[in-house]
Amino acid sequence: MKTNQKPYMNSYLAGFLLGLVLLSAFFVTGRGLGASGSVKSIVISSVASSAPEYAETNPFYAEAFSEGPGPMKNWLVYLTLGVLAGAFFSGAMSGRLGFKIEKGPRITTGWRLLFATFGGLLFGLGAQFGRGCTSGAALTGMAILSTAGFVTMMAIFGTGYMVAYFFRKLWIS
Amino acid sequence: MGPLIPMGFVNPELNLFFAFVIGLGFGYVLEQAGFSSSRKLAGVFYGYDFVVLRVFFTAAITAMSGIILFNYIGWLDVNMLYVNPFYLWSAILGGVIMGVGFILGGFCPGTSLVAAIIGRIDAIFFVIGSMIGIFFFGHFFDLFESIYSGNFIGHVFVFDSLGIGRDWFAFILIAVALIAFFVTQIIEDKINKTSKEIRKHRPSYLVPTSIILFIGVLLLVLPNEPRSKIHENGPREILQRMANGKHLVPIDKVAYSLIKPDAQDLVLVDVRSKEDYNHFSLPGAIHIPKNEVLLPRYKDFFASAKRIVLYSFADTDATEAWMILSRAGYNQVFVMEGGLNHFFAEIFEATIEAEAYDHMSQFQMRFREEAQQYFREGKAAIKPEQTPVPVIKQVEIEMPAGGC
Repeated sequence: MKTNQKPYMNSYLAGFLLGLVLLSAFFVTGRGLGASGSVKSIVISSVASSAPEYAETNPFYAEAFSEGPGPMKNWLVYLTLGVLAGAFFSGAMSGRLGFKIEKGPRITTGWRLLFATFGGLLFGLGAQFGRGCTSGAALTGMAILSTAGFVTMMAIFGTGYMVAYFFRKLWIS
Repeated sequence: MGPLIPMGFVNPELNLFFAFVIGLGFGYVLEQAGFSSSRKLAGVFYGYDFVVLRVFFTAAITAMSGIILFNYIGWLDVNMLYVNPFYLWSAILGGVIMGVGFILGGFCPGTSLVAAIIGRIDAIFFVIGSMIGIFFFGHFFDLFESIYSGNFIGHVFVFDSLGIGRDWFAFILIAVALIAFFVTQIIEDKINKTSKEIRKHRPSYLVPTSIILFIGVLLLVLPNEPRSKIHENGPREILQRMANGKHLVPIDKVAYSLIKPDAQDLVLVDVRSKEDYNHFSLPGAIHIPKNEVLLPRYKDFFASAKRIVLYSFADTDATEAWMILSRAGYNQVFVMEGGLNHFFAEIFEATIEAEAYDHMSQFQMRFREEAQQYFREGKAAIKPEQTPVPVIKQVEIEMPAGGC
């Protein structure tokens, strides 16, 4: 499915615009952006509806339910619906819609999907410990100048650079 | 004024609408930046594409500068913003696990959603994987709980942790970002063996760099407190003022302001109970009971430039209110000397005797004589509406809840 793709936006301009989005999030709601939180809400809601007894006995789910009017009504879920709509709009405008798999030149499709799943698994797990992912903990945390944000950001990218060499086969020739 | 929702300026029902709109911008910018491509994202770790660093760092310093500037102007109260809680080992462990996940998966949760919706199959697998990871955490929560909720340092700021000022930290962060942009561009060109032809056609970043540097210096020289911030007074200072009697306003001055409301910029505040105020009070006076003077809705009123005179029956209650307000930093607040009792005794009911010797006493006596005539015979034509009553905004404040 080949289409005429438009080039990506200038990185600094994109960063500036992302900063304005983040600032407006702070201005309106008093908190920044986040993505992993909504995935968490989806997991919690599906587990709670399919296995309510399990969810009741588990302190992780109990804590999530005590926090507010059901995790699906969460602020982050609506934020994520917006993210999906905005990204789809952008992809459509720039001719980037279409099913495909991106991978390094030295790896098969099967391995790419396996590593993507495992990477996602680690990110989902790590985002719980980090109380947020790259957007919620690192980016938002840096903008508000919180220690937690800087420590998590440095841990993510520091570890990335430390292990990058061992997994170079995944990405570079 | 901001943040709008926690400050009560926006109907909470609209909260989720705003979430969607902000999400729209978030998703659009991430996709436009190229964050839907795992190859581009992973490039930051191998040096062939530093788009992650550029977007991430630019966004962080833009939002940071915006927050600091908005706080200074008074548009955004930083004390109302959510600061991520810092659990030392949990934050580090989480970051380490996410770092490995980033290399293996080539996405982070936000970017994987952006890539999945435009059809990147690897991103869809990543999203499914992250759900498994969250379920895994939940299932073994008992095992993780001690590290997850241990070593809580607090909702701390990084400049406090480092022991430097916020101004210097912000400046250094901006400087580091500019250096990183410059250095990573050189690395990227080397690794990709970018031709001179392409390099020549790059836009010049002279103007943006100058603007960013200017903002950096601005953050350095701006005071950390908001422009309109009230500075608290110490007990010693308050004691000093009381000892000098500088907090007192003589009843004659109050009487004069009632006779000629335009000539003096005094605003009278009755700090007695509601019943007492309704029974009688001075014309044009605003009623704020003693124990309510620190409510947020009166903040702007007490901080206004006008001179505010508090009174009660005697001056005890008014002085108490004055002490609280002075401690909170409101320096334009005064107490009517002797209170209402003194005012009525001296102005309304006193028998005027022409026995004063010095010039000042004679002047005062003559004034009181005239004031008495004015009040008794209604010549003063005091109408409450002549004294403009400040509009006081009713704002209930609630603290924001947690984030991602």
